[in-house]
Amino acid sequence: MINKNKKSLIFGLLVLFGAALLAYGAFFHSTTVSARQDGQPVMLAKSEPALIKEASVSGVKRDESGKIKQTYEVGEKAPEACST
Amino acid sequence: MVAMIKKNKTGSFTSKLLGWRMWIQAAFLMVWLDPAGLRMHTMCSPVFHCYACPLATFGCPIGIIAQFGALHVFPFIAVGLLIAVGALFGTLICGWICPFGFLQDLAAKVPTPKFDLPKVTGYLRYVMLIVTVLAIPYLFGEEHPLFICRVCPAGALEAAVPSMVSQAIAGETIIWPSVLKLTILVLFLIAIFFIRRPWCRMLCPLGAIFSLFNRVSAFFLRFDADKCTHCERCHKLCEYGIEPEKTPNDLRCIRCLECTNCSPDALNLGSIFERAQSKNDNSCDK
Repeated sequence: MINKNKKSLIFGLLVLFGAALLAYGAFFHSTTVSARQDGQPVMLAKSEPALIKEASVSGVKRDESGKIKQTYEVGEKAPEACST
Repeated sequence: MVAMIKKNKTGSFTSKLLGWRMWIQAAFLMVWLDPAGLRMHTMCSPVFHCYACPLATFGCPIGIIAQFGALHVFPFIAVGLLIAVGALFGTLICGWICPFGFLQDLAAKVPTPKFDLPKVTGYLRYVMLIVTVLAIPYLFGEEHPLFICRVCPAGALEAAVPSMVSQAIAGETIIWPSVLKLTILVLFLIAIFFIRRPWCRMLCPLGAIFSLFNRVSAFFLRFDADKCTHCERCHKLCEYGIEPEKTPNDLRCIRCLECTNCSPDALNLGSIFERAQSKNDNSCDK
């Protein structure tokens, strides 16, 4: 049984924790993605919102070595839909 | 006395709101179905709606968690959003704003015989969450046939089918989804006419996450033991086989709030933002 004060405390902590994760992901978190530009390998730092967009169209994949690779060349059009 | 009046007002507000549930669900389609063509796929929504759908404003949080799992990157935005929204609303999201839940609610309006599900099937959602959303993407990547997006009926219905139709109209070669995905879609389309919300109750990983917050969410189902006459009308009102007076914050509850129609007004939508109303309130939040 959870009383109201305990519930309010848990609720407050969860909202704060969720908002902190959300803010960190939206404004600070980035991931290094390897891509190709004119045939040359380049490293790109993608913010999490950008990575969400790429993941939603299968624009990034993890290869066997553990590197995250962009599936299309820089400057090319990104895939239009998710491959799944 | 003042507390009693206030409580009755809250009760009548819930009853009034209940009549508008379908309209609220329909109104939220304007948010999820991207009527303005915004395609804000850099952000997740808190509902189950495939981002590969031509009509999707935001990304699906479950799809993003799985895709990020396959990349071995922690999805801060999706997890943060689900924790914050879950803590606020719990499964009210499922019952009131989820477009996939709304689709199943509409299908349930068709007058066909409805079958109930055994209680234990509710736990399949957690298996689905752990296996297809977390473990398989992390261990095997998105190529695995049981990766959530490869078996998801929302993806099949909202993304694969429109894509196949547009390919057929354009005279292009039709790219068919996997046999497994098509089978799940067909089973889903049959099931929604004979079982109320089969996906939500048996397999939805997003519902599984939100249900974990039901006991601590800001909005919850309040049971007033003093008002309960043990008539068990709430058992009949609940279409999902829950006994709301015993477990008002049951993990399987989608917060449709139909049980608040019980005549003694013993069940109501409560929130932690209300001031304390009676001594019994705290003891009733089971």
